[in-house]
Amino acid sequence: MNKRSPFLNVFSVRWNFSVGLVVLLVLVTLGTAAEPVHSQAALDLDRIQRATVFVMQARSVDDDLIITCIGSGTLVSRDGLLLTNAHNTVPNANCPGDVLIIGLTVFPGEPPIPRFRAEVIQADPGLDLALLRITRQVDGRLLPVGSLGLPFVELGNSDEVPLDETLTIAGYPGIGDDPVTLVTETVRGFTAEPSGGSKSWIKTGGSILGTMSGGGAYDQAGRLIGIPTTAPITRASPEAACLPLQDTNSDGLIDTTDSCVPIGGVINVLRPSNFARPLLRAATLGLDLAIVTPTRAPARAAAPPSFSRLFFASSERDGMPLDVVQRMPTGTTSVYLFFDYDNMTPETVYELRVTVDGIPRDVFGLSPVRWSGGTSGLWHIGGSADQPVWPNGTYIFTLFIDGISAAAPIVLLIGGGQDPSPQFSDILFGNNIDANGNLTGNGLVVGTGGIVYAKFLARSMTNGLRWTAVWYFQGAEVFRTPPETVWTDGVAETKVISVENPGGLLPGVYRLELYIEDRLSATSDFTVAGAQLSSATRIFSDLHFTTAASDAEARTAPPISSYSSGVETIYAVFDWEQIAPGTPWTMRWTVDGESFYQQTMPWGAAESGENFLVRLTSPGGISDGTYTVELLMAGRRFDAIVAAPIGIGQLPIDRFAEAGGIPLSGQILDAQSRSGIAGVTFVLVSEDFNASEFTEQWDQEQVYALAVTDRSGRFQLDRPLQPGAPYSVVIIAEGYLPIAADGIVVAADDDPVELEVYLTRG
Amino acid sequence: MTVVEIGEPQNELTQRQRWSHYFVLLYALVAVVIGINLRDAALNASAVYTNVEAGIRAQYPQRWLIDTDGDYIFRVRDMTRIGFKTTIQVATRPIARNTTVRNLVDSLTLDRSQTLAAYGVINTEPFMLPNEVEATAMTYTYVQSELNPYLQSLPTVIEGLDILTVEGDQAIIITFLSEVSQYEQTLPIFERFLGTLEF
Repeated sequence: MNKRSPFLNVFSVRWNFSVGLVVLLVLVTLGTAAEPVHSQAALDLDRIQRATVFVMQARSVDDDLIITCIGSGTLVSRDGLLLTNAHNTVPNANCPGDVLIIGLTVFPGEPPIPRFRAEVIQADPGLDLALLRITRQVDGRLLPVGSLGLPFVELGNSDEVPLDETLTIAGYPGIGDDPVTLVTETVRGFTAEPSGGSKSWIKTGGSILGTMSGGGAYDQAGRLIGIPTTAPITRASPEAACLPLQDTNSDGLIDTTDSCVPIGGVINVLRPSNFARPLLRAATLGLDLAIVTPTRAPARAAAPPSFSRLFFASSERDGMPLDVVQRMPTGTTSVYLFFDYDNMTPETVYELRVTVDGIPRDVFGLSPVRWSGGTSGLWHIGGSADQPVWPNGTYIFTLFIDGISAAAPIVLLIGGGQDPSPQFSDILFGNNIDANGNLTGNGLVVGTGGIVYAKFLARSMTNGLRWTAVWYFQGAEVFRTPPETVWTDGVAETKVISVENPGGLLPGVYRLELYIEDRLSATSDFTVAGAQLSSATRIFSDLHFTTAASDAEARTAPPISSYSSGVETIYAVFDWEQIAPGTPWTMRWTVDGESFYQQTMPWGAAESGENFLVRLTSPGGISDGTYTVELLMAGRRFDAIVAAPIGIGQLPIDRFAEAGGIPLSGQILDAQSRSGIAGVTFVLVSEDFNASEFTEQWDQEQVYALAVTDRSGRFQLDRPLQPGAPYSVVIIAEGYLPIAADGIVVAADDDPVELEVYLTRG
Repeated sequence: MTVVEIGEPQNELTQRQRWSHYFVLLYALVAVVIGINLRDAALNASAVYTNVEAGIRAQYPQRWLIDTDGDYIFRVRDMTRIGFKTTIQVATRPIARNTTVRNLVDSLTLDRSQTLAAYGVINTEPFMLPNEVEATAMTYTYVQSELNPYLQSLPTVIEGLDILTVEGDQAIIITFLSEVSQYEQTLPIFERFLGTLEF
């Protein structure tokens, strides 16, 4: 289809040669615009398909490369950063390869062609995200820095994706012999996990094939808002899906005796793209963060991963259940499955399968995904934000680890009215309680002291009803109310209980369980750490930035409030007190308010100490910006600083970060022979200059984009044109009359522009 | 006996006509010379590059695209050329006090063999820069291939010439790159460039 080209109203052509000749030819045939596969103003499917790459992890064996894992990925920067899963790129037991081959869709509608090699530069194995950088040509030669200009997509804000939003999923459905495929899906809900909050996963239907894992999910504006994710379960599992691709044992046959490539099942969840932002920010700035202070994970006996103590809750707060339920009323939109976990690792693959009245329902489950929590603790899967109504029925939830059932199934009934049974809920903890019965403290973390109070709500309780409170410390029971304890508070809506140790409660993770007639009615974990002050808990203190020539000097170097541009290393230093080994804590770093590092990890240093040292480096100099460190425990911030501007105190503008715009490509032909001319230079001059100014100075700084035609005369600009900006064009080739033109403007709703330009010999 | 000669009457050129012919020839000759001069002036016209910070001044061919935003001080390319764009580049790299030109050659070879296909040094020999500075000339070849994965071009054999010299604590590397079939033809451009280079 022909369309009006932005080049039709161009030609104010000036071309000045020193000999005074003015030679110009305006012989341009313009106007054919490339038709995208499905024409949509905002959703640039052509760009999405080109930005979707095929990722092959391979293992070097002698002179051969044996493919170990496959998946999809998405280019997120023009210089070759790509976002994909960690399970098929970061070496692990399932995917032990050491080379990453990247295939691109060079010809639309055809399978990907291996073009490059990449390296993992940022990864979060638990979140199953990895950021790769293309560094080499496929034959292993290094690529010159800045030599790539690849099509890419921008990340959208996945928190803004609404229920029922239509998404376009891009990925490679096969093992490398299929073209990139687009699948339309709908947002059917969101799944909460402690590691990622209420939108840890975006739920979709089950029409996405496992090999599309690592690809991209796009909203209607064409922004990347999710990464289709499923992790293949271990090869040892009877349910493992695996395909032999090569004759890895050199017996002349490709059969089941050869190493196979895990392909996973179907995908029904997307990892929201906001989880990838810290990785992308750290990668683009070249930041590397290291904890210098020696830390050591608490020693644990080797044991297989396990789940236990499954129960349901209608809601949660900061990862803790507000109640414990066995049934829920009609119209329920909020259901959480809680359970304890032990011996888990980021490589452990877990899964939730749900049947409703005996029929499997993927939409309520979770396809096999990597574990994003710690080694042991309390976990939940569920959701309440923007959820559809759960239909009435009998739900059976079954948890799996690496494809094997990990705990006895648990049943939830949905239907009828509110459960009238007596109920405890909403447990909060504190060191003190005031005259009005209010707890002091933040509810889930209390300072070390002799006593801890727990306050909870009671509903429908009657005097004489037997109830029990059980207190645990680091998993072991430490106190239980006598068996004959009965309720004596009548219809009181709140109750406060406490546990006391005159010698002081040891720091660590505690748990309280409340039972009514031997039925678990409420439970919550809390952390004892730090010193209890009058109204607050002090765990971390004296957090400051500093600079020094070495790690040793940094521990005693004075605080510094700003840095000059180009500094390559900065340190954050803090003191701590009363933190038990293994207690989860979180460190978050931001630059200009944007997170580039957030990690929750078990405490591994001494119980108390000074000058905990964290080092931030960037070999080429840390980018200008305002850097912030926050220290958290149980989701609460205990110390933070916002006082480390570097250079001008804000990030520089990346003029290549804009993926939006109108792509321009085309072909330059000989006007006489009508054949393509190779090696012709096509210069798009920046909007701040015109063609005449450019041809007087020939300065690269005036160039917006530059392309050279290939053997068939085809060219492709590596930067899209911005709507409304007036560009100029200069086309030159030895032996042909040059062309120059000003005032080239594209509109926001233009399709990709395809030019056909004829040059005349001269 | 009377002899009668029959023939066309001879048209003797007048002196004026003869001078006219001489002048026409002279004018034509002058025009050709002027034309050649104008052509040479056009082809050999140069622009001046000055970098006070680096202490470098040079004249490079006019209408070559100048670029200062890379791992070099400056680079100019003949964008009119079909195929590989003939390139002249000046770069520096820090060196230790005891680094020799031989070390520099080895270092360049190691670096380039990581990124350039079929990179090979043809020869190295002493070279005297026009400003009487002693240098080393290294000639090499490699194969240039298209980096844009969406375009199809045949690889091109490139011949390069590095002029290497040490100045204080830095090495100055003056590079000339040309498609191998055009190398001899374009080398004079580089030689003119070297004649104007001051550092």
